Order: sequence, then structure tokens, then C-alpha cells
Amino acid sequence: MTPLSARAHVPMVCTSCHERLQGPLVCSSCGKLQSVQDTDYFALFGLPRKLRIEMSGLEQKFLQLSWKLHPDKFVNASEEERELSLRRSSELNDAYRALKDPVARVEYLLAIEGERKEGEKKQQAPPELLEEVFELNESLDELREAKAAGADVAALRARLQAAETNFGEKLAEVDQQMQATAKDWDAAVDSEADEAAQKKITTRLNEHLNRRAYIRNLVVSVAKELEEA
Amino acid sequence: MARIVGIDLGTTNSLVAYVDSQTGQPKCIPGPTGNTLCPSVVSADTDGTIVVGEPARKRLLTQPERTIYSVKRLMGRGVDDIQQELKLFPFRVDAASGNVIRVRLGERSFTAPEISSFILRELKNWAEAYFGETVDRAVITVPAYFNDAQRQATKDAGRLAGLEVLRLVNEPTAASLAYGLHEKQRGTVAVYDLGGGTFDISILKLISTSDGDIYQVLSTNGDTHLGGDDIDNLLQAFVHEEILQNHQIDFSPHGEIAQELRKDLIALKHDLSERESATLRFPLPNGKTFELELTRGMLDALIRPVVDRTMTPVKRALADAELKPEQMDEVVLVGGTTRTPLIRRTVQDFFGRAPHTELNPDEVVALGAAVQANILDRGVTNMLLLDVTPLSLGIETYGGAVGKIIPRNSPIPASAQEMYTTGVDNQTGIDIHVLQGERELAKDCRSLARFALKVPPAPAGLPRIEVKFLIDANGILQVAAKDVRTGEQQLVEVRPSYGLNDSEIERMLEESIVFAEQDFAERQLIEARTEAESILVATAKALSGEQANAVPANERATIEGAVAALKESTGGQDYKLIRKRIDELNQATQNLAEILMNSAISTALKGKSVGEV
Repeated sequence: MTPLSARAHVPMVCTSCHERLQGPLVCSSCGKLQSVQDTDYFALFGLPRKLRIEMSGLEQKFLQLSWKLHPDKFVNASEEERELSLRRSSELNDAYRALKDPVARVEYLLAIEGERKEGEKKQQAPPELLEEVFELNESLDELREAKAAGADVAALRARLQAAETNFGEKLAEVDQQMQATAKDWDAAVDSEADEAAQKKITTRLNEHLNRRAYIRNLVVSVAKELEEA
Repeated sequence: MARIVGIDLGTTNSLVAYVDSQTGQPKCIPGPTGNTLCPSVVSADTDGTIVVGEPARKRLLTQPERTIYSVKRLMGRGVDDIQQELKLFPFRVDAASGNVIRVRLGERSFTAPEISSFILRELKNWAEAYFGETVDRAVITVPAYFNDAQRQATKDAGRLAGLEVLRLVNEPTAASLAYGLHEKQRGTVAVYDLGGGTFDISILKLISTSDGDIYQVLSTNGDTHLGGDDIDNLLQAFVHEEILQNHQIDFSPHGEIAQELRKDLIALKHDLSERESATLRFPLPNGKTFELELTRGMLDALIRPVVDRTMTPVKRALADAELKPEQMDEVVLVGGTTRTPLIRRTVQDFFGRAPHTELNPDEVVALGAAVQANILDRGVTNMLLLDVTPLSLGIETYGGAVGKIIPRNSPIPASAQEMYTTGVDNQTGIDIHVLQGERELAKDCRSLARFALKVPPAPAGLPRIEVKFLIDANGILQVAAKDVRTGEQQLVEVRPSYGLNDSEIERMLEESIVFAEQDFAERQLIEARTEAESILVATAKALSGEQANAVPANERATIEGAVAALKESTGGQDYKLIRKRIDELNQATQNLAEILMNSAISTALKGKSVGEV
């Protein structure tokens, strides 16, 4: 993997007027769209690969770039330019979607850092949760059976509501852990830490993500059962 | 370059608008009668002539089997989807319909995009007559909650009408453009749009930047089968039941008389928006008159379920935008159905603020479409619209589940890449099923397209095919595939599950030229003939009634003479002569109309000569 410091200094010039580019999408001198390949979402917004992002700045940049890239601005342009505008503006929108959401942002960072294949989700239960998950699944089964038999579900409901609260707290907990690790990552970027140190952090972030996905699934399915009961 | 117009292709009415370059304000274009509303009704003559708008609407009563309304409900849908609709609407679906529904109008059958294209062509004619020049590019509005197939069908209709569709714009978004320009609104806006057949709610943010004003849609939700039509259906079912109970007469929902009753009920509904109570007097086939006094309270109770159904999408849209009702700075009402007092009150109570109704709710969407047309034409450079996709896009995965790849309310254009490989050695194709919707199982989502990726023979797991799904600024899906190992691009033809393919559209285009290019005089002739026809029917009916006995013999002879003269003129080609004879018949029946007016069943004829009824 290339060290971060080297990545930040690739000189880019406009394919049309050959002026130095300020960003990867559009030339600020002549307004021509650029057909540069493989820019990551952080670079697209002119941001370092850090996990703390200031939201109002991100939104402002998004709106600014939308003015320049949106297909509405290219209706009377050549087919090639219209095609480029469609591609670039969809990239911009995809990037905004990914960076805006803190969880999607971590997922994306891990994907470009090679830590995680896109869409990867580990579905095995975290070992320390096994017992509680087992109990929860039992209660869910009982509830479904009781519902099917038309039996009284009040007691089961109370048990599931307690479980919902319990796992909701665990979700908040893992979110906190993720935030703390995200801070570690940003610090590593700032201090230009070596690859091994970065790898350690991304591995941890990936563990948080998997744990979070698992707990979130539980919370969602309990909420759904309760709603239907 | 020629002008671009904005078109609202509605369930009940359609309109065309443009932006006046002098004032910078959008304006609706009137048709030949001076009305800006073109009823979305299409009728086919025995000789293949197509009649659109007001004249076609009159034929709903005289020739229901050749006439269709609310065709928007069929756009982009399959036969299985519309079974519910068929119970309530007199659609005569051709038994030979394949995956695309065909509707019979007399001897011929048409697809929904074709029927919509007739409406678009009529509006194109209005605009061309107004400007005195060709109009061949348009922005067309669609319900925000329309899926890919419904959008594609609308775009196809434009193409069939000889229009290049520069953009499909979501109706509530268009409305917010019109309001934004009119009121200079800023902040968060909720647009509640209840039309004839569709309901949309959109939450927007209006932002002023140094480049100009941005209209950013945060979220949208809705129901593409919920609207004023449903209110009419409830009213109709209620009155049918009353008539069955009190008079033992069963109104077949498809007959001429049911259409007539529906027309009266819609008028009654409109009356109740202005008044606390109104009375229906309807002549029954047995000679008696059905009388029913309906209060606003009764109407409210009847339509409450429809109004309640709109509130679930409203709550979902707010949740997706992460906003609360009280955080909305403005609320805008769009669509003719929002004139209903119960709806105004419900929306006002929910958001805790009085909604905007300054712009005509029938025209505001077309006006917004014209504003967007002007933006695209670079007439306005300081406005930008950023919209979202209303439904999640997904791919069927193992076991019939759906893997979401672009979530709902993503800003568009939006894209997603998926990598595919093979499961067995020398497999040469990978089947991909694209879906739209929020449910977890493929069978519960909307099937958009199925296609097969071509794969060169290789050991299992070795091929790498990258598929790029892209939703464009119209909300329409494009798919491209690339073999990662060879770098070879693959053309993916997405065959829509419920749409027309290119060759079908080409064929229809060729056919349409034969009968659709009518010049002005020819259209006038058709309209005059249609009007003559409905007047003749109304006169014959009036003369055969009991009250007509009060008409003196010499007067009756004059009327009969005028009837014969009018009949004779409709056989010719001179539309001016037909118009003259229509006027003469109207003159001759003035006294008759008065007599009818004075009798018990006459309130419906108030202030009109027989011919106008």
C-alpha cells in the first residue's frame, strides 16, 4: 500500500486547458469536466482520508460541485460531455451518500484501504453475545408460536421489550467504540503512522462494523416482531 | 433552437405551459376553447380518427366503449397488477395482451403509452397553434413515486408523440419550483400532492448559494394508486348502494348511465368543497328521480379512509428526511383533490401551519415543468434542481431475497457497482434480476428487468464481470457490464418486464404517422362533429321525455328541422357549417330547455340550453 503522504501529491492538469486542477472532477479555470479515473470519495471532496468530517462543509462542497456537474447543465452539450456529466454527477452523489453517513463512511474507508470487500457482512454472532442471542431467538420463536396459536403474548412481549432495550444499549456501546477507534485512525493519518499501525486500526474498525451489523439486525428483527404482535 | 415546453400529463387533466421570456413567469397555454385544462380522455372513431380532451370527455357518455379515461393508472403495469383497477374502472383490456396491457377502443387496441401519446400530441398541437411554430422538445412531469417502468412508459409516450423528452420531473418537485419562483420561499418545504390518481409527498430544502438557488429534495414517498378517482369510486359505490336499496335498480358500473351518474357525483363533490350541503337529483331508468341530500360531514366520513391513507407516506417521508412535522417552514398543496376541505384541515392540523394554496392547484405542476424546461434551455442559469430516487434498487440474491444496491431517497443520478462470477465450470451466462421496492423478498418487489450477462467459458469463479447500475436524472435505470479480466465492455439490453422495447416503439411510430398528423381544420371538424353528436343525443332525450309534451307542435317541428339540418351537416367536411347548425339548434331548443328547467328534474340543466347539457 502506498503511504498516505505520497498519495496526496499527485499533480493533475485539466485535459482541456492544461491548467493545474484544484479538484478531480471539474477544471476551475475553464469549467470542463475531467475524465480522470479512480478518484476516491475523500479526494473527490478534497478531503484527507479521515473519519471526522465537518457536515456543513461537506454539504456546501456537495452543492458547489452539483452546480458544475449536474446533467441539467449539459442538456445542450455534446453527447460525450453529457455522458461524462452523468458519470461524474452520479459519482458525486454516491460519494456524498457514503461520506454523509458515519457508518457508511467507515465501510467505505475500509473498502478502499483493502480491509473489507464491498458489501461484506459477517453473520456469525460475536462469541461474548452467544448466550444472550440464544435466549433472544428462543423468545422470538415462542412469540411466533404463541401468536400462531392465538395465545396470550403479554409476558413474552415484556421479555422481548427488555431484550430490545438491552441490545439497543449494546448498539450504542459499539457505536461509541467505533467513534473512539475512528479518532485513533484520524490521529494515525495526522502523524503519518506506518502501515502496520494503520492496519491494526482498520482491523479493529472492521470488527466494530461486523459487531454493529449483527446487533443492529437483532434490534430490527425484535422491533418488527413486536410491531406485528 | 425551437422552444421547450413543460407538460403535466395528469390522470384527470393534462396541461402544457411555457415561460414567457418577457416576464420570466411561467404560463399555461390554452386550447382551442380557451381552457388550459385538457381532460386526459381519448376516444377512437370508427374511421381510426383519435379524439382527445373535452370532445372525448363528452363521448364518455355517448360512446363509452370507444373512450378511455385515467389511462395513467395503466402506465408501466402488467395485467396482473391491475386486477383491482379493473373492478372500478371501465378499462376494456384486450384478451390478447402480452406483458404490455392493450386496451380496446372500438375496433382497435392500444397500449397505455400510445394512448398517453395521443394526449401529448394534442398538447403539442395546442402549443404549436399558440406559438405558430414547431414544438418538439418537452419536460414531462411524473408522480415522484413512479417506478422505473412507469417512467419509461411516460418517456415512450413522449417519443410516440414526436417529442424529445429532455427530462422527466417529479410532480411535487415541479410544484415547488413554481412556488419557489412565485413566493421566493426558503427553508424546508413539504409538498402534499393529491391528484386524480396518484399521491406524492416530497420534503425539500430550498437553499440560496452564491451560484443561485438550489431545490434539494430530501425525501419522497407516496402511492401511485391513490387519488381523487378513489374518492369518486367511494361516492359512486355509496350511491349505487342507495339506489339499489331504495329503487331495486342495479347500476352496472360500466354502462352509459353509470358514467352519467359519476359525472353528476363529481360535480356534487366539487359543490361540497364550497358549500355545507348539496342535493343530487338523478333521473332513473324507471322514470323516477333519485334524490339524495349529502352534507359535507357525510362526504368527510365517506372519504376519511382515503385521506388517512395519505398520512402514512407523509410520516415515512419525514422520517427519511429526519425531520419533524413542526420543522417544516412551508407546506404546499398541489393537485385538484386538495381543494377538499377535509384534506386541507388534515394537512394543516398535522403540520401545525396553514398550507400554501396561492397557485392554482391544477396548474402549478405544469407551471413548474415549464420552469424546469426553461432551466434546461439555459433561459435560467441561477436555479438547480436536485432530486432523489423514490424506491430502493435491488438485485435478487440467493433464495429469492433482495440485495439493496441503491437505497431510496438517494440523490440522482446515482450508481452502484456489483461484481459477478460463475458457480460452475464453463458457465456462459449469469442471470440478473433487477427489482425496485422496499420489501425483503424479490416476489414482493417490483420486477424491473431480467437479463443475462455473457461470460466467456472459464473455470468456475475465475470470470469477473463488473456490472454498473445507474439511475439517471429522470429516475430511469441504465445498465453496463464490463469483463474485468479482458476490459471488454458488454452491451446490456435491459428488457423491461412491463414495457415496450425499441422495435415495438419504432413500429408504433410508423403507424402513428398514418393517423395522427391531422391539420387544424381536420381537428376542428372532429370536434364539431363530436359536439353535434352529444347535442343530438341530448335533444332526442329531451324530446322523448314527458315534459316535452308541453312544447307546442310548431316549435317541435322547428326543433326537428334543426335536428335534421345538423345531422345532414355532420356528413360534410365543413366544420363552420356544423357550428352554425349547432347554434341554430340551440336557438330552437331554448324554450324546451326552459320547460325542462321548470320541471322537477331540471336543476341539473340550470342556465343552459339543451344542447349544452
